[in-house]
Amino acid sequence: MHYPWWYVPNFTAPMLIAGIATIHVFVSLYAVGGGIVLAGEVSHAYKSNDRPMLDYLRTHTLFFILLTVVFGAITGVGIWWTIGLASPLATESLIHIFVFGWAMEYVFFVIEIVSAFVFHYYWGRLDPKTHAAIGWIYAISAYISLVLITGITAFQLDIGNWTPEKGMWTAFFNPQTIPQIMARSGAALLLASLYIYLHAAFKLRNDVHLRSLVENRVSKWGMAGAALVTAGGAWWYVNIPESAKSALAGASALNILTALIFLASAVVFFMLYFGPYRHPGWLNPGFAILYFLLGIAATGTGEFIREGARKPYIVYNYVTGNNVLVSEIPKLQASGYLNGGVWTRAYLKEQYPQAVTKDGNIDYAEMLKLPVAEQVKVGKVLFQYHCNDCHSTNGFSGLDRLTQGWTRDMISTVVTHLNKAHYFMPPWCGNDAEAVLITEFIQSLSEPTPAGMKFSEEESSEKEKTSNLAAREESDR
Amino acid sequence: MNPTDLIGPASPLGNPAPFWFITFFKVLGLILHMIPMNVWFAGMILVAVFSTFGKNHSLELAHRLSRTMPAVVALGINLGIVPLLFTQVGYYQFYYPAGVLMARAWFSVIVILLFAYYGVYVYSLSVRSNRRTKFALTSAWISSIAFVLISFLFANNFSLMANVNDWIHIYTRTSESGAALGTGLNTADPTLIPRWLMMFGIAITTTAVFIVFDAVFFKRKDTSDNYRKWAGKFAFAFYTLGIVVYAVMGSWYVFGALGESVLNPIGQSSFMKILFPLTAISPGLVWIALFAQRKGLRKATTITAGTLQVFVITLNAVSRQWVQNEEIFKFKDVSQLPVQVQWSPMIVFLLLFVIGLTVVGWMIAKIAEVEKRGAEEIQVK
Repeated sequence: MHYPWWYVPNFTAPMLIAGIATIHVFVSLYAVGGGIVLAGEVSHAYKSNDRPMLDYLRTHTLFFILLTVVFGAITGVGIWWTIGLASPLATESLIHIFVFGWAMEYVFFVIEIVSAFVFHYYWGRLDPKTHAAIGWIYAISAYISLVLITGITAFQLDIGNWTPEKGMWTAFFNPQTIPQIMARSGAALLLASLYIYLHAAFKLRNDVHLRSLVENRVSKWGMAGAALVTAGGAWWYVNIPESAKSALAGASALNILTALIFLASAVVFFMLYFGPYRHPGWLNPGFAILYFLLGIAATGTGEFIREGARKPYIVYNYVTGNNVLVSEIPKLQASGYLNGGVWTRAYLKEQYPQAVTKDGNIDYAEMLKLPVAEQVKVGKVLFQYHCNDCHSTNGFSGLDRLTQGWTRDMISTVVTHLNKAHYFMPPWCGNDAEAVLITEFIQSLSEPTPAGMKFSEEESSEKEKTSNLAAREESDR
Repeated sequence: MNPTDLIGPASPLGNPAPFWFITFFKVLGLILHMIPMNVWFAGMILVAVFSTFGKNHSLELAHRLSRTMPAVVALGINLGIVPLLFTQVGYYQFYYPAGVLMARAWFSVIVILLFAYYGVYVYSLSVRSNRRTKFALTSAWISSIAFVLISFLFANNFSLMANVNDWIHIYTRTSESGAALGTGLNTADPTLIPRWLMMFGIAITTTAVFIVFDAVFFKRKDTSDNYRKWAGKFAFAFYTLGIVVYAVMGSWYVFGALGESVLNPIGQSSFMKILFPLTAISPGLVWIALFAQRKGLRKATTITAGTLQVFVITLNAVSRQWVQNEEIFKFKDVSQLPVQVQWSPMIVFLLLFVIGLTVVGWMIAKIAEVEKRGAEEIQVK
């Protein structure tokens, strides 16, 4: 409400965040886990004077840099970019709480970048001790970045004891932080091992001995990662807020996915044990791809669950999904959602000057006197600012299908009791007149009950919708 | 309608640091970002042009630049986050609306940057492996064009931030049912083009200094005296071109585009009376240093030119900040927003900042030792 809303037709702007964040996580976890595995394995190879292993690790480092320093870094910046566009108020709030957390993270990012380049481009030109030390500098700074960013994203799900008067540390050390760090550390190690398998399966296709060695050594990191994911995930589940537990238990998609992620982690653990650890050497490109896809699926699912469990908030109990401060809701309900929004008020002033009072506020009585077609248009403005963060009109999570076959009364009742009907939705933040306006809009979208269903014979929604609209237009005339 | 009606309320959380602190790190971040950003902005154009049309030394220059470019881009991107972070802390009421109004273009920066960065790598790796293909050359061109496009979009967003008077026009023209489509650009703003190209002028000058720096300090064993001589002459000519672009665009910006409301305070502030002219003439100092070594590069003069160029960039960053404040404060004085200082996180950040600089310094010292020693590989015993 403080900022203009970005309308992305058929998709919703926040889904862009989900898209970028998911692909970023696949690479950023590798950037952390891969750094630790590379530092550990390079140190070991120097100690054991294993030249072939060092040569392999050198080729892997280039692959690692091309993926993490370029794609990982840009998609990381991309998340930041996109949250500012799709959820500006939430971003504003997070930045005011965590600016120094982010600033610290960027200190470590710079160390990461410099150390990654020195590690790769000066390979063989630095003495082994310094080279390995630089590998560890990378690993440690990447890990601290993970810790810092996890504290911030964990805060979004559970603010713990934080209140606006309390500082960053209270926000950072929320009940979710440590379990999530544990789970993500595991995911980082696990994914790193799967990336290395993938790379080694192709790069060392004809060198069974070296490939076996790589598989065997890396499987230990992978199994440790799988164990950490499982333990961290379980701890996380125990600690999440009641609403998140209810969502995970209640939403069939979420509870199936939650079970799947634990199952996938366990399967990967045993596959690593019986495969590369006990029988190194048989990992061909096909198996490596399968492992990799399993790891990606588990990671993506974990992120999906983590995000889904947060609803209806972007910052739990502080900013709702539709970019409203929880503290502002009562005022908006009293004075009007459109009236309380900086940009909505300006827009309506331009479009409907006749429905604006002398002191610049929206005159809702006048709004309700507008012809139905105009009321539908105003209803769409409400939709954009109240609903479009999760719903499109007729695309992703489209209201046309979600309200298919609903009567006008049903729409109105759900609108005015949003959070009662679905606790994972925010409360209705507008006044009564606005509820009427948005009901008009949703009804104009709502599809009739699919034809041919037996119990739809006697009450055709389409007929009802048409007759309702006709009746309203008649009364307008 | 009053343009200030579109400025959202202040955050109830208050700013986590005093405004001077936010501004200091915003400007410091911009200075640190501008150095590598300038090098890729003008440098990638040189890489593309000289790789296509260059011979001998000019081709060698393209190759040398392309070898260091991946690290330059990586550093520049990460350092660029710092000013953006502090912009979002101190100027959020202006930054977010501007971004949303041009959201599609702003979002596309990420996609364009991916192409630009991978293009840099493709060309750089092709040079390192001595396998320059048409694909690699095309990648260099794509990168250089992509960087120019990104700079244009940045100039758009940061000028739109201050162009509050036009927000309502852009918004009503490019919205659907009150929500921004994100298709607005700030192209009607007279400051946009000179502001954008003034940065291009500075980028040329910084790249010219980088060329000299590279010839004197990087890959010394492989650098011939002939190349060094050529690099000195070329850098001087290139710097001269940069000064011309900078002077023309700067004059257009100051005398033809900036409004009275920004120019008048210059006359009233004794600090700005000194800073503005100094910003305008400062590249002349570097130009003299480069002029002095047209016929032979010297370490001391190169270091002087480099230091002076950082000074030029610093003056530009400070002047830009001052202009931005003048443009924005007339709508809302964001320096007066409530502050709730987060002391302990701030102190930890400052400590880590110093530690970070030390660690980076240590790594640079290590590679400097290697460079001094020569390019040979150490064999593991």
